[in-house]
Amino acid sequence: MEGAFSYAPAIAAFPLVAFVVALVFGKWMPKKGAIAGIAATGASLVFSLWMLAAVASGETYHETLYEWTAGEAASEIGADTIGFSFGILIDPLAALMLVIVSLVAFLVHVFSLGYMNAEGETGLPRYYAGLGLFTFSMLSFVYADNLLMAFMFFELVGLCSFLLIGFWFRTRSAPSAAKKAFLVTRFGDYFFLLGVVAIAATFGTLQFAGDESFVAAAEAAIDDGGQLFGFDAETWVTITGLLVLGGVIGKSAQFPLHTWLPDAMEGPTTVSALIHAATMVAAGVYLVARMFGYYALSPTTLAIIAFIGGFTALFAATMGVVKDDVKQVLAYSTISQYGYMMLGLGVGGYVAGVFHLMNHAFFKALLFLGAGAVIVLMHHEQNMWKMGGLKDKAPVTYYTFLAGALALAGIIPFSGFWSKDEILYDALIVGLEEPLIMAAYAMGLLAVFFTGFYTFRMVFLTFHGEPRSEAAEDPHPVGWSIKLPLIVLGILAVVAGIANLAPVAKLANVDITFLEHWLDGEYGGIDEVTYSAYSELLAYETGVISSEQVTVLIAAGLSLLLAFSGAGLAWKLYSDPEPTAHKERLGSAGTVVEDNYYQDEYQVWLAEGVTLPLARVADRFDQTVIDGTVNGVSTASLFGSSWVKRIQTGIVTNYAALLIAGFIALLLGLGVYGGWF
Amino acid sequence: MIGVEYYVLLSMAVFCIGLVGVLTRRNALTFLMSVELMLNAANINLIAFAFYHGNLTGQVFALFTMALAAAEVAVGLGIILVLYRNFRDVDVTVPTTMRW
Amino acid sequence: MAIYELPEWTALGPALILAVTALALFAFDSISPRSTNRQLLAGTAVAGSLTSLGVAVWFTVAGVGTPTADGGNGVIDPTHGFVVDQLALYFMIIVAVVTALIVVASYDYLVDHAYQAEYYSLVILAATGMSLMAAADSLVTILIALELASLPSYALVAILKDNRGSVEAGLKYFLIGSLSSAIFIYGISLVYGATGHLELAAIAEVVSGETEAGSGHDITEMGGLLGLGILMLIGGFAFKTASVPFHFWAPEAYEGAPAPISAFLSSASKAAGFVVLFRVFTEAFPLGEIGAVIGFDWTVAFIVLAIVTMTLGNFAAATQDSVKRMLAYSSIGHAGYALIGLAGLTADGGELVMGAAMMHLLVYGFMNTGAFLFVALAEHWGVGRTFEDYNGLAAQAPVACAAMAVFMFSLAGIPPFGGFFSKYFLFVGALEAATASTAMLVVAAVLVINSALSLYYYSRLVKAIWIEDPPATRDRLAQPTGLYAAIIVAAVMTIVILPGFGPVVDAALDAAGAVVG
Repeated sequence: MEGAFSYAPAIAAFPLVAFVVALVFGKWMPKKGAIAGIAATGASLVFSLWMLAAVASGETYHETLYEWTAGEAASEIGADTIGFSFGILIDPLAALMLVIVSLVAFLVHVFSLGYMNAEGETGLPRYYAGLGLFTFSMLSFVYADNLLMAFMFFELVGLCSFLLIGFWFRTRSAPSAAKKAFLVTRFGDYFFLLGVVAIAATFGTLQFAGDESFVAAAEAAIDDGGQLFGFDAETWVTITGLLVLGGVIGKSAQFPLHTWLPDAMEGPTTVSALIHAATMVAAGVYLVARMFGYYALSPTTLAIIAFIGGFTALFAATMGVVKDDVKQVLAYSTISQYGYMMLGLGVGGYVAGVFHLMNHAFFKALLFLGAGAVIVLMHHEQNMWKMGGLKDKAPVTYYTFLAGALALAGIIPFSGFWSKDEILYDALIVGLEEPLIMAAYAMGLLAVFFTGFYTFRMVFLTFHGEPRSEAAEDPHPVGWSIKLPLIVLGILAVVAGIANLAPVAKLANVDITFLEHWLDGEYGGIDEVTYSAYSELLAYETGVISSEQVTVLIAAGLSLLLAFSGAGLAWKLYSDPEPTAHKERLGSAGTVVEDNYYQDEYQVWLAEGVTLPLARVADRFDQTVIDGTVNGVSTASLFGSSWVKRIQTGIVTNYAALLIAGFIALLLGLGVYGGWF
Repeated sequence: MIGVEYYVLLSMAVFCIGLVGVLTRRNALTFLMSVELMLNAANINLIAFAFYHGNLTGQVFALFTMALAAAEVAVGLGIILVLYRNFRDVDVTVPTTMRW
Repeated sequence: MAIYELPEWTALGPALILAVTALALFAFDSISPRSTNRQLLAGTAVAGSLTSLGVAVWFTVAGVGTPTADGGNGVIDPTHGFVVDQLALYFMIIVAVVTALIVVASYDYLVDHAYQAEYYSLVILAATGMSLMAAADSLVTILIALELASLPSYALVAILKDNRGSVEAGLKYFLIGSLSSAIFIYGISLVYGATGHLELAAIAEVVSGETEAGSGHDITEMGGLLGLGILMLIGGFAFKTASVPFHFWAPEAYEGAPAPISAFLSSASKAAGFVVLFRVFTEAFPLGEIGAVIGFDWTVAFIVLAIVTMTLGNFAAATQDSVKRMLAYSSIGHAGYALIGLAGLTADGGELVMGAAMMHLLVYGFMNTGAFLFVALAEHWGVGRTFEDYNGLAAQAPVACAAMAVFMFSLAGIPPFGGFFSKYFLFVGALEAATASTAMLVVAAVLVINSALSLYYYSRLVKAIWIEDPPATRDRLAQPTGLYAAIIVAAVMTIVILPGFGPVVDAALDAAGAVVG
């Protein structure tokens, strides 16, 4: 396995080539670039699996490939050089994520054959080029070995989402949604950039791993107990950590920067699947996991992450309850699920968070692709109230979608249950000692109920009952390219939980927590970036209720109970052949929720009421003072020019006189200067 | 023996006369003559200093200068000739088609 | 290398080849004065200048001028009054390149001209003078070489005998030139009076007090005389390089002369003026010692001249209507940039800033020649002289116009063209010199301001060519081979000099180090 890693750059290079090929030659290719994309992502998947195998055999890879620039610079902790480089870091976490991303990207490409090509879309080369670039950016982000490279590809991911969300740029809503996604995430990225600069200036390095990493440097600085930029070392680590977190909140659509994500449904459903499962949104949480050691140094940051996560999980789940559009429901479920991951990471449950990231990638890709299939079936109708009865007409879609829904709702034994339960368990044991985490845990727990409810409301409305429109009575058939990805993902959604059956392990006392061992580097890993290394850094106290087994049972039991009751309520309300809306019962609360808690409204108000007047003032300053100065300089120059050139009178005698005068002036000036007179 | 400073004063006087001629005369030929005067001022210097320093370099250089002056006049007369042909005048202040 | 086995006088080969070529053309003209055999005449001239270029490059590669300690052949003194070192060869290359370019371009420009042989022989004769200027190291040879370059130039500017502009330009050039050379010669007489010598090395020995002046007097007693003489020398060189206040001839001479001659004068002649300036001031009047004699270091004079020249040239160029006149003023501005090379010298250093000035002159030799040749092309087409007349040329002649855009942006100093690097090095060199003299900070600031201003008028021309709509009445434009070839070669060199900048930098810094160190 020695040589495997020298092929690592190819993983990202394949989709990049596909991007170029689709862009340049896509117009003339059969399937308009799809083949290139499928081949490239397929190759990436194969290579990623090879990396995974290599890591499993005990190898890791950490190599600087290209140095942008390096120079002397005094950083705050006294390092005297700083270098900015591109490099690859493949450890268990990165290898796992590479496989997830390339798998989902591959399946999305295959699905696109049925979803985009078969439906006769125009602009397909642009679409496949976008997908290729998107995959390239995310893969590069995943194995970036330093924060700067991560930041650059993080931005590229944002750009690609802009391009793909706005794919149907002739509609009114898609360009606006694309802009919103770009701007909102950019707002977060702005803080990320500040964080990158701050970390570079403080520690003189941006490496994630190794002795030279900023994590190690930060740890040393905290141990020294010195001051950084006038703060305690730990406070400064918290500040910089929070700055980077700004980018995470934007990209992973956490409160309050989640508003772009529901609008992003304007893009093709396949793009939504990619964004939600593997690329854009996952990038945020992945970044937290990537530099988890840094966050582990600062309990404050972790608590904030946990609280934001718990709150977002609940907050988004309540909004998902009242949506009528199948994609909207899924959008809010994504926000909610990433809230869980943040909660898990925030309470120190590194394995749980990554586990949920993985499971979520499978079942959310499944659900979105399933929704895409439903949309094809329904002749591009997305309103669930016009569906119904698809269960019998499209069994493959139904059963795979159901598997995804069960996983999402957290019903045992589907994959989502295991990871969500682990997150909640980790939150609970920390929460027993820390009241703030307890609050976050409570919100996360409550969200389970809502998740169960909206998930099954969606399933019942879409697939059960009687067809409620002509389209639903006569669905459009779907081909193998749609079914195949659904089946693959459906199987994964069912079985992926096996990777880490932590409750079973604790109750039965058997060693089956494979993912934990994997992330702990027991098969192969880099010392400072393993689960146990992180655990040592964590300052959390944990408690149990009577004993560990009892606590496990209580946590699992509670969440299962809530999931079942949510699902049960949905069954009770919507399983009729002709379901009716129950929104009125919610009264004014329903209106508030339906309007998304006026998040958009207040953000628009902030923009129009605060930023716009400020911008106007700045604009006026620019127009009058800055432009005035610039124009003044230019006018003065041109006036000076027209004056200077008048010296050249055209009469040669004048020239001689001026020449002599100039010479005498020089003579006198230098004579006085040289002391001749 | 006359001190070298008197030669320098003489040459400077000749130089200045030439200069004034350049600045005030509008006839191209007079302009040329004035320049010749300035060159000869240099020659006076060169020869006086050659005598003063006791080497011949200056004297030889003065010969070169005279040859150069002759060549210059040759070219200059040619130009003045075409000047007259084009402008019907040898007044140097007349050609002012290009300025500013 | 075999070069050591050649007699020493062959070290002047590049200049001698030009002289022989000029004489051959002259002989041809005497035998057959009415001949219009353009191929033969232009071909001879091109062959001569290219041979000269080849020999100069060969000598450089063979290590002439490189100190023997570094494996070179050392400085060669071919004959009394001349020296062939790296500096000389560097500038011989510039002169030969520019000569070759403008001779090729002239082939088309002179299509209906009556005095073909005269024209070419005068050009080559002037080039001989410029080439000799690069190697002259005595005030006698300097004066003769300078006049050898000047006198044919006067005639060349006025060679369009029925064109009032050309004649007027020739007259003004000649009158100001003769006045300047009178001042220059008077300056030489004063320097001779103060030191008793005309050879640069001997002057330096007297100035530094190593030997006594010819008459046995103390040099410091003659400080005033020497100072005045030095200022007058500066005047003579300022004329040759078109620097303020001796620049008055330049706008008219460049505007009125045939465009290839404008290119020749503003590139090669200027470069030759600078090489003499560099050599005289670094060799004859060593910094530090000269201050004790005349009361100040001559760098002060060049700081003032550089600032005034840059500013005047660029400001006057900004509002010109005629493209050629704009280029003429910009040429004055560039002389100001090159003067920084002397202004930034210090007693014990300054290779960087002087090397930068020399690089700038080399790059300038391509980009400015190219720009003037484009004007020659426009004159050949007969489209007119002003910016408006150039509107929309790109639609009809995209290749030449692309080359012109390259020249303009390079002149303005925009990356990635050669002009950016030389100007950048000048700026860095000026800042480095600022540690010794704070006035250099002002110079650096003025350099930046003027570059910004120059971008305005250069891009104005690019806008006219590329963005404005062409007038409806313009005829189809011809594509004369010679002009096109010269323009394209100049453009390619302006661009490829960037990757090849390493050797240029080395050559320029070595050459500068040879005279400064």
